[in-house]
Amino acid sequence: MSIEVSTPPRADGASTRPRARHRPRPSGTRAALLGEACREAADGLRRNGLMTAAAISTIVVALAVAGGGILVSANLLHLAAILEGQVEVVAFLRDGLSATEQERVAQAVRALSSVRSAAVVSKADALRRLQRSFGTPWSVSDLLSSNPLPDSIEVRVFDARQVRVVAGMIGRVSGVEEVVFGTPVVDRLVALTSAVRSGGAVLAAVLGLASLLIIVNTIRLAVAARRQEIEIMALVGATPAFIRGPFMLEGALQGALAAALTTIVLVGGYVALAAGLSASLPFLPLLAPVTILPTVVAIVWMLGTAVGIGGSVIGLRRYLRV
Amino acid sequence: MIQFDDVRMRYATGVAALQDVTLRIESGEFVFLVGPTGSGKSTFLKLIQRIERPSSGRVIVDEIDVGALSAAEVPSLRRRLGVVFQEFKLLTDRSVADNVAFALRVTGTDPVEIAPRVHWALEVVGLAGRAADLPVRLSGGEQQRVGVARAIVNEPSLLLADEPTGNLDPEAAWEIMHLLSAVNLRGTTVVVTTHNPTLVDILRRRVVALQEGRVVRDEHRGLYTAAR
Repeated sequence: MSIEVSTPPRADGASTRPRARHRPRPSGTRAALLGEACREAADGLRRNGLMTAAAISTIVVALAVAGGGILVSANLLHLAAILEGQVEVVAFLRDGLSATEQERVAQAVRALSSVRSAAVVSKADALRRLQRSFGTPWSVSDLLSSNPLPDSIEVRVFDARQVRVVAGMIGRVSGVEEVVFGTPVVDRLVALTSAVRSGGAVLAAVLGLASLLIIVNTIRLAVAARRQEIEIMALVGATPAFIRGPFMLEGALQGALAAALTTIVLVGGYVALAAGLSASLPFLPLLAPVTILPTVVAIVWMLGTAVGIGGSVIGLRRYLRV
Repeated sequence: MIQFDDVRMRYATGVAALQDVTLRIESGEFVFLVGPTGSGKSTFLKLIQRIERPSSGRVIVDEIDVGALSAAEVPSLRRRLGVVFQEFKLLTDRSVADNVAFALRVTGTDPVEIAPRVHWALEVVGLAGRAADLPVRLSGGEQQRVGVARAIVNEPSLLLADEPTGNLDPEAAWEIMHLLSAVNLRGTTVVVTTHNPTLVDILRRRVVALQEGRVVRDEHRGLYTAAR
C-alpha cells in the first residue's frame, strides 16, 4: 500500500511549505467563538433529543413541585396573617368620659407602635350590637333600666404575638380602665399560626432543595452521557471556556424551556384552583393569582435557568480534568 | 522535539509509572514505544499532552516545559499535537466529516478553512468518499483512519498514537501504520505505543522499550524484542 500525504489546502489559496509544520492557530474572535458555542449548544440539544426531552420533563416536574410548594407556603402564610388579623384587644374606658376625651384616649392608643387601628365604640353602639346579636324582636333596652355597657376602644395590632405587650401598654393609657384580649384563644391562635409559618417555610425549603438536587443531577447525567465529546474537545485543544460555553447554554436553554412549561402548568393550575375554591369554599381565602403568580413564575425561571447552568458547570468539572 | 529530563511520575495511588526517564526525540523522528502493560507507555504520552504532570524532572515539547504550563496554556500545547486512540474515540452521532471537522471547530479555526481541510485529511486517509457516513457504518480500520484524519487535520508537529492498531485486524493495522509512516514522511514527529511485534520488526524504526517505568532499551532501527 502506498500512501502519499499531500499538502493541505489553504482557504486563501496561498502556497504552503512541503513539510508539515504546526501553524499556531488563532484562538478565534470572541464573536466567532460565541457563535460557535451557540451552534454547538443548538446541535447538542438536537443530537441528544431524547436525553434533552427526558431532562426537560424531569426539570418540569421538579420546578412544578418547587413552585407548588412556594404557592402552598405563601397561602399558608396568608392564612396565618388573616387569622392573626382577627385578634382584637378591647380597652374599656373609665365611665363618664366625654366623646372628646374618648377620642383623645383613642389617639393615644393609636400612637403606640404596635397598634394597627383603634376605634371608639360608644356604650350606645355596644348596646345596638348586643341587640343585633340576639336577633329577637324583644328590645334589650326594654328589659334594662339603663345601659350597663361601658364605652370601649377596639384595637387591632400588627403582630398577634405582641398582643400581651400591647395590652399592657394600652392598660397604662390614661382613661383606660380594663383591657381584655381573650388570652387562651390568642395563645392558641399564635401557636397555630407560628406552626403554619414554620411548616410553610420548611415545605418550601425542602421542596426547593429537592428540586435543586434533581435538576442538578439531571443536567449532570446529560453531561455525563457526552463525556467522550468533552474529552475529545479537551484533548484537541479546546479551551475550558469553549467547552463550557455550549454546555452552559444548553443547561440554560433546558432550564428555560422547562420553566416555560412549568409556568403554563402552575399558572393554569392555580388560576383554576383559585376560581374553584372561591366558588365552593369562599371562607378559605387564597392569595389572588395576580398577587402571587408573578413572584412564583420569576422564581421558577431563575431556578430553572440558574440551576441549569450550574448543573452543567458541576457536571463538566470532572471531565475537564484531562 | 521531545525531551524527557530525569522524569519521574508517581500517581496518587502510589504507583510509580515512570522512573528516571531521560530521552530525546528529534523533530521528524518515528518512534515506537514498546513494553508490557503497565510499563509506563501511556503515562509517557499523557505527560507529553499534559494530561499528567511529572512528579519530578522536566518534559519539554517544542521547547516548552510542559509541566510548567498553566491550565490556560494547555490548549495551546494540545493544538500542536495530534492524537490517535486505540478505541478510536469517534462521536457516533456525527458523520465522518463532522468528526474530523470537530477538531478544527472547537479550536476556533476560521470556518472558511474547515471544509477544504477536512476534505484534504479524508483524502489522505482514503475516506473522502465516506465523508457523509456515520462511523457505525465503517469497519474498525476505517474508523481508525478517521481517527488519523482527525489527528492530522490540524497539521500537528507531533502525532501521538496510543496502541492505534490494538483493536484492528492485521490488514487494517498495516494500513494505519502506512498512514502514520506517510504522515511522518511529511516531517511530522510520530510516537506510537504498540504491542504488535510484527509491525515494529518490519518497519525497523527507532524503538524505545520501557519496563517498570524505566527505559531499558533505545535502538535506532530496532526490533520489538532485544536482538540476542
